[in-house]
Amino acid sequence: MVVGSLPPAAASRHLVPLVERAIQAHRHGAPDTAEKLALEVLELAPDRPGALSVLYEIRKAQGNRTAAEALARRLVALDANNFPATNELALLLLNKGDLVEAEAHARNAVRIAPENAQSHNLMGMILTEAQRPQIGEYHYRRALELSGARDAILLANLAWNLKNQGRMEESRALYEESLAAAPTVRQTLLGWARMEEADRNFERAAELLDKLEAVAPDDVGMKVSRAVVLGRQKKPAEAVAVLDALASTREGTRLGPAELLEKGRLLDSLGDYAAAGQAFIEGKKLTRELSGQQYLDQHANQLLARLKGFFTQGRLKLLPRAGVRADVPQPLFILGFPRSGTTLVEQTLSAHPMISAGDELPLISDLTQMMPRMLNSPLAYPEALAELWMADQRDGLDRLRDNYLARARQMGVVRDDAPWFTDKMPLNETHLGLIALLFPASPLIHVIRHPLDVMVSAISNLFTHGFYCGHALETAATHYVRVMELVEHYRTEMSLKYLPVRYEDMIADQEATVRALLGFVGLDWHQGCLDFHENRRYARTASYAQVTEKLYDRSVGRWRHYRAVLEPAIPILAPTMEKLGYSSE
Amino acid sequence: MSEAAKPAPRALTAPVPVGEVFQIAAEYERGGKLAEAERLLRHVLDAHPTQADSLHLMGIVVFRQGRRKEALEYMEGALRHGVDTPLYLRNICELYRTLWRHDEALVAAKRAVALAPSDPLCLHNLAIIHSERGEYDEALACAGAALAIDPRQPGAHFVRAEVLLTRGDLAQGWEEYEWRFQIGGAAPLIPPQVVRKDRPQWQGERLDGRTLLLIGDQGFGDVIQFSRYIPWAREHSGAGALCIGCGKEVGGLIRQLAPRATIFQKWDDCPPYAAYAALSGLPRLAGTRVETIPAPIPYLRADPARIAAWKERLGALVPRGFKRVGLVWAGRPAHNNDRNRSTSISTYKPLFDLPGIAFVALQKGPATPQAGGFFARAPLVNLGAEIHDYADTMAIMDNLDLIVSVDTSVVHLAGALGRPVWVMIPRAPDWRWLLQREDTPWYPSMRLFRQTRPNSWEDVVARIKAALAEHLAA
Repeated sequence: MVVGSLPPAAASRHLVPLVERAIQAHRHGAPDTAEKLALEVLELAPDRPGALSVLYEIRKAQGNRTAAEALARRLVALDANNFPATNELALLLLNKGDLVEAEAHARNAVRIAPENAQSHNLMGMILTEAQRPQIGEYHYRRALELSGARDAILLANLAWNLKNQGRMEESRALYEESLAAAPTVRQTLLGWARMEEADRNFERAAELLDKLEAVAPDDVGMKVSRAVVLGRQKKPAEAVAVLDALASTREGTRLGPAELLEKGRLLDSLGDYAAAGQAFIEGKKLTRELSGQQYLDQHANQLLARLKGFFTQGRLKLLPRAGVRADVPQPLFILGFPRSGTTLVEQTLSAHPMISAGDELPLISDLTQMMPRMLNSPLAYPEALAELWMADQRDGLDRLRDNYLARARQMGVVRDDAPWFTDKMPLNETHLGLIALLFPASPLIHVIRHPLDVMVSAISNLFTHGFYCGHALETAATHYVRVMELVEHYRTEMSLKYLPVRYEDMIADQEATVRALLGFVGLDWHQGCLDFHENRRYARTASYAQVTEKLYDRSVGRWRHYRAVLEPAIPILAPTMEKLGYSSE
Repeated sequence: MSEAAKPAPRALTAPVPVGEVFQIAAEYERGGKLAEAERLLRHVLDAHPTQADSLHLMGIVVFRQGRRKEALEYMEGALRHGVDTPLYLRNICELYRTLWRHDEALVAAKRAVALAPSDPLCLHNLAIIHSERGEYDEALACAGAALAIDPRQPGAHFVRAEVLLTRGDLAQGWEEYEWRFQIGGAAPLIPPQVVRKDRPQWQGERLDGRTLLLIGDQGFGDVIQFSRYIPWAREHSGAGALCIGCGKEVGGLIRQLAPRATIFQKWDDCPPYAAYAALSGLPRLAGTRVETIPAPIPYLRADPARIAAWKERLGALVPRGFKRVGLVWAGRPAHNNDRNRSTSISTYKPLFDLPGIAFVALQKGPATPQAGGFFARAPLVNLGAEIHDYADTMAIMDNLDLIVSVDTSVVHLAGALGRPVWVMIPRAPDWRWLLQREDTPWYPSMRLFRQTRPNSWEDVVARIKAALAEHLAA
């Protein structure tokens, strides 16, 4: 942040020299003095922007993220046009994973400084992370245009964005350009290595990691990526050794959450399930400790109860349905708990020429946020749907539907030669009622898998869907049960075009299951759907490595290896397992 | 298990002898205050765990609360600790029967008859269990023996009616069937305040322009089945007008057969009439025999506008090119034979393995939510939430290839419309489905799939699955 560029408040003008001294001290590497002076100023004038900026920089350097965020928020609140503070706050929120708020500030940054390359870079970063890479790409390209130069980091950012869109060749070309411009930039080398790993060029990925290691031998990201690449090269023992070596270089020999989970997965492939289970549990524990996040139990429970309360036969009888647009491709919803096999089903379906892959579209969730505004309602979703009873909102669902379709097109997931596109946002089944109102003719494919296998995947991977339920086994199980009960409610109260598909059936009888799926969508047989692993489309989600392999039955019944670790979840899941026809014996 | 009302039992404010506590509990049971009766009996049994009368009464109390297995434990305890009491045996027979333990029911019923050979109720219970086991000769003999002791025992007449009708002896059967309104607990056909001596039950005579009252009695299925006789009744009686009392659910259907009739739902709205008849009594008056069952199919028709609306709705919900098979798995739980005829949606699970079929749930009532929690391989479109009345069901049926159902009103509707319908029939069938045959003269578009073992639908569904596969191949 550029400190000292902010206009002084008139009433505290006499403190200007003190603020100036704080800024100078900070600039000249005397943070203690700068902190003391800044605190002195803020004691007298708590809203003095210069002092707040200095203190912000100091807290950020100290790694005190909570304090830094609070200071950035104060600066933005004091002056909504403060671009540096807005930029900093958006970055802080991005790093924290709060993409919704980060996006709001990034958009503000663009409003404040529409011709500033950094404001567009910010939008690019946040929207790429928020799984809207097509929008992110536009802003990255705008940033490049505005900067008037081919900045190596900006190029690497754009390359990462294109990798997320599966445009590997274009991504590779940009990484090459970035590397040529600056041969030792970490972002370039690490991002490129990950891109090559995703594109199954493991040797190339390893070479790039070698280059990074040469300039940054202790880089944690590099080592974790090295382990991932070794794992995908079927060298799990070597991969574990890399992670263990990484742990030994750290104080307390402690790996981070992502590293622990990666290690657990590697140990799993080595058949050391006890150690793997331990690593998963530790990884999740550390995730909670470091992020401060935990399952938003009450919030989730309340929303689900409100959805049950709203979507009832009696009320649905009074609600209109959106019309079906015949002029544009229609969404096909692949529903399921995170890690239940939705990626596999999407890869399979999108191998059909009549279906394009949309991946995890955040659009339904976005609509639930936008709904009160779009329907001019004082109520939140789902109660805002009551506006549809008003004469001037009778076409409200059509407008919500069109918003979804327009944004899907904007995101580049719609192909004019394919009448369907997939939306496989996990836990979209939470909004099954809304989806059926918006797209009454769209197939709703719900991927069902042994809940204990889903839990194994939940504890061995990081995901934030479902109100952070995945941060602990018990909360993942609780949320799973709650959502399944909600699905049952929707299916009882509404007539739906719904098909449950068992992951286990995909493994045991792939052809029959794929035939049933295509039949359900109303499409003819396509042999390519059986060879989904040859579908070169890159699946952005955590399952990407699995869906590039042929179907394997190792993923069925994995829970048996983790029976002891899963024990606390079994009583929670038992009634749902019984209903679904699964056993924990 | 009488429910006759008695004066309110006195409050327990001081220690009361066990015998008196038992009497109070018995009064509670007769008054329908089951929780109170259970509470008192628990006190008695805590102090005297082998007291046979209390065990027996407790069995009755928990049975009436739907806890049949628990009831059996008490009843068996009563028999273990008491002497061979015909009353205990008579009641445990009924309990065994409802728990599908027919062999034990038979033993108990026979023992009760042996102990009390002149008790017509014991003979009646034995007749019922014989009938349920398909031992029709024995059932008729027992009912006959009961009637020899008490010729006006309605239950025994009704057993005879059911057996005779099931065997296709409609001439005798219809006559015995007239006893149905005399059975204990049966609602009268006409409430006492409406009955008048000068307005008798119609016996098929000419009414010469006067009004005939028809009453849609029994369940909705019976109303649909026997409504075919309405035009006959009007013509045969020469009535100047018809007035028809029926549930509002079937009013629209009746209207199709009697466009100018006064149709009412409340007895207060019943217009003056000259004579009355139950719809279910019309086959007797018409002298119907198996070979003369009238089947003017279709005698009901779906509304074209609703057919079109449901065509569009189903077009959106059912995948293109799939055969559409309607499903119903349960009847009205209050039906006294519901245990025998209803099942759960999971019974149909094997059918969901057949490719190319989308199932359409037509189920209404408390069993509807089962569709929500059923996760099988084929698509299941649960229309229960969107079906408002029988007119919807009829219009939907017009858009289906086939209906598969347990023995409930929906099958009568499908049959009356002439839509293809396959019905799962219990081992002890309702009389109207006769014996053994796969078809029924009542509804030519109907195919019957009969149970071979009581309470087991497995082989029935397997046969339906095979037939469906054949149907699809064709």
